[in-house]
Amino acid sequence: MSFAESLALPEWDELPRREEPARRLRAVERPLPARRPRMTYAIVAVAGAVSIALAQMALSVLITQDSYHVAELQQEQRALTLEAQSLRDEVAGLSSPQYLAANAAALGMVIDASPTYLRLSDAAIIGSGDPAGGSSAVDARGPAQVSNALLDGTPLVTDPGSVVQGEPDRGDAPPAAETAPTEEATEPVVPAEPVAPPPLTEGLPSPTTR
Amino acid sequence: MSTRAERHPRRRSVVALLAVVAVLAAFVLRLVDIQVVNAGEHVGDAQSMGLAGQRVLYGNRGSIVDADGTVLASSTQLYDAQIDPLLATTMERKTADGTGKEIVPFADFAAQIAEVTGQDPQEIVDIVDGALAENPGSRFAYLKRGISTTDYLALVDLGLPFLTFKMQPSRVYPNGAVAGNLLGFTSSDGEPLAGYELLADDCLSASNGLETFQKGADGVQIPGTESVTPAEDGGTLQLTIDADLQWYMSELIAEETQRMKAKSGTITVLEIETGKIRAAAEYPALDPNDVQASDPADRGSRIFTTSFEPGSTGKALTAAMLLDAGVASPTSTVSAADHETFPNGASIGDPFDHPVYNYTLAGALIDSSNVALSKFGDLLTPEQRHDYLEKFGVGGGTEIDFQGEAEGQLHPASEWDNQTRYTTTFGQAYTMTVPQVMSAYAMIANGGVKVPLRLVESCTMPDGTVITPDLPEPQQVISEEAANETALMIENVAVQGSTAEMIKVPGYRVAAKTGTAQKPDDNGGYKAGVYFTSIVGFAPAEDPKYVVMVTLDEPTQVRSSAATAPALQKALTQVMKHFRVMPSTGQPHLFDKY
Repeated sequence: MSFAESLALPEWDELPRREEPARRLRAVERPLPARRPRMTYAIVAVAGAVSIALAQMALSVLITQDSYHVAELQQEQRALTLEAQSLRDEVAGLSSPQYLAANAAALGMVIDASPTYLRLSDAAIIGSGDPAGGSSAVDARGPAQVSNALLDGTPLVTDPGSVVQGEPDRGDAPPAAETAPTEEATEPVVPAEPVAPPPLTEGLPSPTTR
Repeated sequence: MSTRAERHPRRRSVVALLAVVAVLAAFVLRLVDIQVVNAGEHVGDAQSMGLAGQRVLYGNRGSIVDADGTVLASSTQLYDAQIDPLLATTMERKTADGTGKEIVPFADFAAQIAEVTGQDPQEIVDIVDGALAENPGSRFAYLKRGISTTDYLALVDLGLPFLTFKMQPSRVYPNGAVAGNLLGFTSSDGEPLAGYELLADDCLSASNGLETFQKGADGVQIPGTESVTPAEDGGTLQLTIDADLQWYMSELIAEETQRMKAKSGTITVLEIETGKIRAAAEYPALDPNDVQASDPADRGSRIFTTSFEPGSTGKALTAAMLLDAGVASPTSTVSAADHETFPNGASIGDPFDHPVYNYTLAGALIDSSNVALSKFGDLLTPEQRHDYLEKFGVGGGTEIDFQGEAEGQLHPASEWDNQTRYTTTFGQAYTMTVPQVMSAYAMIANGGVKVPLRLVESCTMPDGTVITPDLPEPQQVISEEAANETALMIENVAVQGSTAEMIKVPGYRVAAKTGTAQKPDDNGGYKAGVYFTSIVGFAPAEDPKYVVMVTLDEPTQVRSSAATAPALQKALTQVMKHFRVMPSTGQPHLFDKY
């Protein structure tokens, strides 16, 4: 029912017109039952809002806390990276052939001239067959010829009193006594049981794996 | 009244509404002004007040490794220590009695710093005084540039507020002068300046990234504000060099150059089958860790930058072309005196006196007779010989294209005069570099197939892409038969020649040819008594695997090419041993000399 139609209700038509404009009133047929406020919805809504706020706060606190943790770890990582870098700098050059050869030479090892091969199948000696001489083909401990600035002042492992090149770095070089090989290391290594030569009865001997 | 009463509240609310809208509009305007119109300025203000933080993410410049992956060059960090002179000289501390304050004398700090950096304390005081003398308000001076991470950490530990540090990506060369001349070096700012650092910069260079973020007052990053442009590392450049062999050759040539009292020397090792240079050693060498320690002339690679008249090593090339053209065989003969004048007026002499011999081609090579070679060479026209030399790689550089590599020079046959027509048969009047001579000998040892030379194995990018250099296909330059016969003649030179005893490698058959190049003096002639001596050899002769070439510039202990023989013997021995080449079997066929 539209509003216009409601104005044209028959009961009102018969009433005499007054000066005042007719009041648009009508009797309420029956009072509507009082609606109970829906508490559940309100509680749910408020509780939801509160919990969202709490959750957000909690998350934000956690994230902030984590960011401190992250900052701390990053700091630690940086410190460790720097330490690793400084350690790497310290050992740079120790892997160089100059250092290896000089250490080997200090132990009395020589670079021998010609190789000799022993062919296992027929026990033939291939190559010069000459025994190794006592002199080295090149002198790895001679006056530093293949220079390496990284090894300046670095003492030899096998002869802590000397260096590959430059002056011994007295500040860093540990006293010889400290680096002297320990007792165990100097003892000749005796194999536990003599190794039997592999039998040559059936073709080439192959290493046995246990 | 009712109309008034009714109208009034309406008008009031309209007025109120308008007021509210006006205020709102003002706020909106201001908001737009702040957030949009002047946003940049405000953001800038906020950041300048310490909200903005950023960190450069350094990309690592790629490593250079050898054939086995041994690192020859890698990245590291150095630091530039900077000092604030004004702050450093106005630091306060409590006086001894604890009542007042006094300015700390800078010498106290200088002593602490000097202990770490290894400078003289006075030097540090001078730096600060100097900066202040120039500008009394000076806030910046370099304390020391390029300090190590260890020193940097020690300086940071001192906790001096007037010290600041700037990180400087830098390079470290663990093996020092081993292959230093090939690797090159970078400037203190990380700019590549020489060698493969420069040549392969496209492969090695890294790009830095940037991380920006906002931070709180305590310097902690505000979560969710970071944006990262990642750094990109450089690729890994692999060379064909074998670092251990390179070290041995470097040590050997250093000893030999000094023993022979030469100006400089080189040893180069080439793998015949692949064309890969396995060692390229020279003396004096460059240690890229300490570039300033070496003479500027020693900072390139003279193996590639020096071209010279090959001299007698060029005789084998003449023999190879004669055999390939089918105009001579190893046993063909010519009669040659020790000095002869040719029909066109050219005058050619041998370096030793001998009666008129009926030299075989092999014999001419063994005795290294210029006169005999001139006569043999005349069996081909100058044009034919020119074209052969060109095919052998004379005058065309090499595929390696090293920094400053010499091309070598070969004049067109039409420009050869009466004398050069003959001198070109024994390696004069054209120039070659060490790699070119080796490439030509490798071709002879390889059945006439010329394999392009290479020094770069590959470049591996961080994403795993492997880029290998583009190389031309191997080429059959002379017939296999001609090549094998020439190789056999070169072996005869090693067995029957003057240096035979010196270059014997026990267990292996060796082929070798010496060369003595005269050096031009400044007056258009040749220097008297000093030579650029060389020897090139390959082994095992029955199935050649490696070519080795030794050069000595102006040796004075032994002036002839014999000076290089002991070095070749040791170098070949080491190469055979290093690459586990099986000793030779059989004996070479020996040709008659006359």
